Amino acid sequence: MATNLDTHEHYHQPGLQHQFEDMRQQQESDSIGMWMFLVQEIMFFGGLFTVYLVFRSKFPMAFAAGSNHLNVALGAANTLVLIVSSLTMALAVHYAQLGKRNLQVVLIILTMILGATFLGVKAVEYTDKYKEGIVPVSGLNLRTPNVEVDSARNTSKNPEEQEKNSLDFPEGAHDTKGNKPVTEHGEEKEYVNRRGNFLWEDTSLVVAAQQGNYLTDAEKIGYFENGEINAEKFRDKVRIFFWIYFAMTGLHALHMIIGLGVMAWLLWKAWRGTFTPEYYAPVEMAGLYWHFVDIVWIFLFPLLYLLGRHFLHSGGGH
Amino acid sequence: MAEHISENHDEHSHHTEGEHHIVSIPLYLMVFAVLVVGTILTYFTAQWDLDWIFPGANTLLALLIAFTKMMFVILFFMHVKYSSKLIWLTAIAGFFWLAIMFAFTMQDYLTRSAGVFTR
Amino acid sequence: MQNVDATNIDRVGNEPELNYLNNGSSVKSWLLTKDHKRIAILYLLSVSVFFALGGIYASFIRLELLTPQSDLLESGTYNRVFTQHGVLMVFFFLIPAIPAILGNFLIPIMIGAKDLAFPRINLLSWYIYICGGAFTLWALLQGGVDTGWTFYTPYSTTFSNSYVMAVGLGIFINGFSSILTGLNFIVTIHTMRAPGMTWFRMPLFVWAHYATSLVMLLGTPVIAITVLLLALERVAKIGIFDPAIGGDPILFQHLFWFYSHPAVYIMILPGMGVVSELISNFSRKKIFGYEFIAFSSIAIAVFGFLVWGHHMFVSGQSIYASLVFSFLSMVVAIPSAIKVFNWTATLYKGQISYDTPMLYGLFFIGLFLIGGLTGLFLGAMGLDVHLTDTYFIVAHFHYVMVGGQVLAYLGGLHYWWSKITGKMYSEFWSKIAAMIIFVGFNLTFFPQFILGYMGMPRRYASYPAEFQVLNIFSTAGASVLAIGLLMPLVYFTYSIFFGAKAPANPWLLPGLEWRTSSPPPTENFEKTPIVTWEAYDFTEESGLDLENARNRLRAPLA
Repeated sequence: MATNLDTHEHYHQPGLQHQFEDMRQQQESDSIGMWMFLVQEIMFFGGLFTVYLVFRSKFPMAFAAGSNHLNVALGAANTLVLIVSSLTMALAVHYAQLGKRNLQVVLIILTMILGATFLGVKAVEYTDKYKEGIVPVSGLNLRTPNVEVDSARNTSKNPEEQEKNSLDFPEGAHDTKGNKPVTEHGEEKEYVNRRGNFLWEDTSLVVAAQQGNYLTDAEKIGYFENGEINAEKFRDKVRIFFWIYFAMTGLHALHMIIGLGVMAWLLWKAWRGTFTPEYYAPVEMAGLYWHFVDIVWIFLFPLLYLLGRHFLHSGGGH
Repeated sequence: MAEHISENHDEHSHHTEGEHHIVSIPLYLMVFAVLVVGTILTYFTAQWDLDWIFPGANTLLALLIAFTKMMFVILFFMHVKYSSKLIWLTAIAGFFWLAIMFAFTMQDYLTRSAGVFTR
Repeated sequence: MQNVDATNIDRVGNEPELNYLNNGSSVKSWLLTKDHKRIAILYLLSVSVFFALGGIYASFIRLELLTPQSDLLESGTYNRVFTQHGVLMVFFFLIPAIPAILGNFLIPIMIGAKDLAFPRINLLSWYIYICGGAFTLWALLQGGVDTGWTFYTPYSTTFSNSYVMAVGLGIFINGFSSILTGLNFIVTIHTMRAPGMTWFRMPLFVWAHYATSLVMLLGTPVIAITVLLLALERVAKIGIFDPAIGGDPILFQHLFWFYSHPAVYIMILPGMGVVSELISNFSRKKIFGYEFIAFSSIAIAVFGFLVWGHHMFVSGQSIYASLVFSFLSMVVAIPSAIKVFNWTATLYKGQISYDTPMLYGLFFIGLFLIGGLTGLFLGAMGLDVHLTDTYFIVAHFHYVMVGGQVLAYLGGLHYWWSKITGKMYSEFWSKIAAMIIFVGFNLTFFPQFILGYMGMPRRYASYPAEFQVLNIFSTAGASVLAIGLLMPLVYFTYSIFFGAKAPANPWLLPGLEWRTSSPPPTENFEKTPIVTWEAYDFTEESGLDLENARNRLRAPLA
């Protein structure tokens, strides 16, 4: 990127930029700069963690219910995948410091594979939620029409009504005739989700908490209508959990994707043997970023996947 | 004046000392082992019912484990243990500001109209 | 001294042939430059455009408020006009003005570095700024936004039909420009100081920017994520801030003000830095209480993060939280007061020369004092209930933002104009302009204190007839202010083409930026300077024979 403006002589130590006096100053600047960047990342995620904290303290039961519905095995597996990738990254930095090109390249590739695995598992989880109809954004879920209800409606004698139905739910009407989304083992799925709505009926945790008398005051207002548990109102609170879940894991996944991009660039550089024991700052900086993303997940895993796990094992009460 | 100059030099020499530290592979593996054990531990402790201590004890325990894991990553994988004071300060400042955001937001929610959000 | 030729103090005309301005003149050499000085010029041009646009919206507001009825603009349009005035002025003028222009240009020179630590990131942050600005301007052309610059939910998420998303994304993008600038400054100040340039020899301008950068770095990401959630709420209909389904609109206010309150310190701290320079240098006296001013900047930056709740006294926030926030708001007045006391103590027995920059410096002290003290009224919980959302607030923050930051910005621009362009502006016209601005500003905003106290609410296109007299005053003042603000545009432009060539050190001052040619060479100094003197050292220890030079020139430039 040297332009015609740089008329002065460079020292031409590899990687030394013109504004610095020597390599030490550059290295120091790079590492402080990267840490400053990580601090702003902490605050960036911090906003979401604050949102989480506020709603978790208001509606713990809704959060427990939502959390219990996540696939904890996949979450735990992903945690391990990320930890291993952190190790490979740390080792990549280690061999960059020692100037061993081949090991660097291998370890960077391993890190990338592990990162991609993480994203793959995440995609599987998202797909599951989408199919189950619990993506909290209205209309974004898989539409799964109930065959019987639809065919009953469509056999209605009144042609106008029939047309109205098919206009209302064009996908549903189509699906009843064409491919059968409902039958995997020959039987129907339990639910109908024609508009792709968020579905949630299970209020057992509220019942248990009411019996155990540990609802928060916000929950006493938030889940009940005329003294009765209102499934719709509870569903809205569970929905908040899933919004936060998708926002946090989504932002984290975005950081992973950016990380993979950085790794690809790093791989190219390492492949060309750019890094020496004197100049390996980019590897180290990328490493810091990667570890940071790992740390975020270290917190996301228990906060999102493991809330209220114990309710499942103690029968939902005390 | 001379005092100022020497102070400046101290700061620089301190940085150089930290810059080239190479962490040994066995240490990396040990940290890795701690992280794996921590993950497994979080998973199993989450199944226990700790609400008899106080409601939310499970979450607190999980956060403690997560915090320990984080410290290992920061200190060893991210080399903070071997870095200059400025890096220490930076890392601490980041979490301190996060704590400000949590604490000052929650001081509102936790004290609203005679404890709407208490149990 | 070692590398500074003491005889070049009043040297004219024998600068090196090549300086940063004539070192390449192609469009590419400007748009792909990594020179912090050229990037500062890019910022100067683009920030000025946004300032002008914000000013046009302001004049529409004042014209509408000339009469009690909403006759020039109907209410909906008026909402958009004041929102756009706020958005443009806050995010695209006040926040980048001093740091990105003066800070960018001067910090490396003041600490004796060749450039910022990350020149490419510096250029990137200008492009991000332009990108965010373009996004916002596009939204404004489409019809704009009517939520107020605060974007309060649920109005902004659920009800507003304007371009909240596009403007929000513009602010989101722009935020990263500010983060990267702050990051660059912090690293530069830590690692790029010239030999001998210790922390306590840095000019206070640099200290102020260090504090500002801390706020930028720690606060801005929070507004970024908040705006992102707002956008998600509009696009994907998630409902974290929607009270109808259990969301929490007050949480938005918490997150918003977590950034936006510290952001007002982003908008005033650099101004305080400029004024510290002006007061000390034009009093020809070492600043009184250097360490106190330096650390009060840091204290403001830190305490600024603990007081955001004073914007939310009437929002339904817990009364106990309000108590804490109110108390801490009083505490944050202390470091500001320390600065004002130290500035006035510096003036005492100084050899004050009333050059244009100094006029702005003195105006700043007075106006900031009024703005700051009325801030204490608003921080008091009881009084705030009466004054919330009245013109009292509007007057208060315009005294701080315009009377403080804009005047400091103009003062700084005049002060360093010769260094930036290498040309001298007309001292006569600039003094006239400064006076007009001062009179116009007070005439515009002082009546608003009274209006607000009488209970005139902000953000309405119409008002009861009894408020009209004071509003006419205010609008008249705004016209005077507008003339005053247009004058620098004329004489600055004139000076670029016809102005006298500036010497390296036109004011005969000891700072490092006056020890290189005007305009400076691309690498700032021909040789890395070695610093052996304290900041604002007017004695012979500074290595410059300022006393003799002054006697020789006799009443320079006055």
